[in-house]
Amino acid sequence: MIKNFFKLIANEFSLMIKGSIFTFVLFCLLMIASSIFSLALRHVTFDIEIPLAFLWIMIFFISLIKVEKVYASDFSEAKLQQYILSPFALEIIIFVKNIMIYLNLLFLFFIFSPVILVILNIKLSYLISINFLLALSLLSIVFISSMTASITISRNNKLSITSVLTLPLFVPILIFSMAITNVIDFDIHKLYLFFLAYFLLNLAFSPLLTSFALKKLSV
Amino acid sequence: MIEINNLSFARGNFLIFKDVSFIVKSGEVMILRGPNGKGKTTLLSNITQLLDPLSGEVKYQGIKIDSYIASQCFLYLGENHFAYDQLSLNQNIDYWLSIHNVKFNKAIRDQSIKFLFGELDLNKKFYQLSFGQKKKLQLLLLMLVNKPIWILDDPFNGLDNDTIVKITTLLSKKAENNGLIIIASHQSIAIPHRTYELI
Repeated sequence: MIKNFFKLIANEFSLMIKGSIFTFVLFCLLMIASSIFSLALRHVTFDIEIPLAFLWIMIFFISLIKVEKVYASDFSEAKLQQYILSPFALEIIIFVKNIMIYLNLLFLFFIFSPVILVILNIKLSYLISINFLLALSLLSIVFISSMTASITISRNNKLSITSVLTLPLFVPILIFSMAITNVIDFDIHKLYLFFLAYFLLNLAFSPLLTSFALKKLSV
Repeated sequence: MIEINNLSFARGNFLIFKDVSFIVKSGEVMILRGPNGKGKTTLLSNITQLLDPLSGEVKYQGIKIDSYIASQCFLYLGENHFAYDQLSLNQNIDYWLSIHNVKFNKAIRDQSIKFLFGELDLNKKFYQLSFGQKKKLQLLLLMLVNKPIWILDDPFNGLDNDTIVKITTLLSKKAENNGLIIIASHQSIAIPHRTYELI
């Protein structure tokens, strides 16, 4: 079982690599959106909070789109039937898929982040802090997005609207991410601890709820 | 032995089937027949616990089937293919064998592939395969995943005569080895079987 679990991780990793082009396109769109944002506000002076909020909201949308795309293809009815009848719990498969999506998004963000920060006129001295903060907050974003996606892809379209119920779960991430700009007043380690704690909370509930939604709404 | 007791299922306010009861013993093949829309696929989904019935229960060896028993005992092959388009045939086989927790044995795997596919480039991407070849990939699991109950939804759809004969041989061997098979199909099968008519 353990051997096959590692094989499953390797296979999911290979699937993730094959799906990287779509993530690359999403990050290219992020660069274009950042350029338009900066050009539109070129005559206005503003604090770092505004481009940072813009960046986080864009990352949130990118994660949501990526997770939904992966879930729509990887949890189509026929595949889901096999996953449900597999000796591996569906929650484990969801966890592995989410981690792969996370690694995929994170890797591309690390590549694109210096350019994006320059475009958004954010000091490069923030690069490591922003990358580290995103690495922590993206975990929660992906796991919450998986709950949203599992409801959105349900066959019963009337229920898709209920996926908005998960949106408030993103709010603490956005609020606390903005705190990075106040690192002098705010103990940054506590901020990291918050994201870690919030991720652990999501880790406890998200795979269970996602699996429940997939089983009940998509088969 | 698998017992289906008074199984009913409804989608919304529409009753698909009512009070379906039958028993399939080990070594038996049960064919579900009935016109389109009478709930053959839905009944298979109810048996495998993929869908919760409105009422009734399904027992295996006298124990009510739950999701754990279903995952250990059932091999379900539905109408639609489950493989990943972007993976090659070889990668897909590896992927689904790991999902079904099959101990890897290259010799058996190669033998099974040769039996079902003959000479075929295993590095071909799944989307490059024909409908029949895609179906064969699903049916390959019958040879490689060892579970006591096979639940098959229209397994002969899109297959050539040679493959139908091969699959029939597989079904026959499974029944001889005390396996239990439930099939929803419109086609006749050249092995001893019982029939349940959904009307």
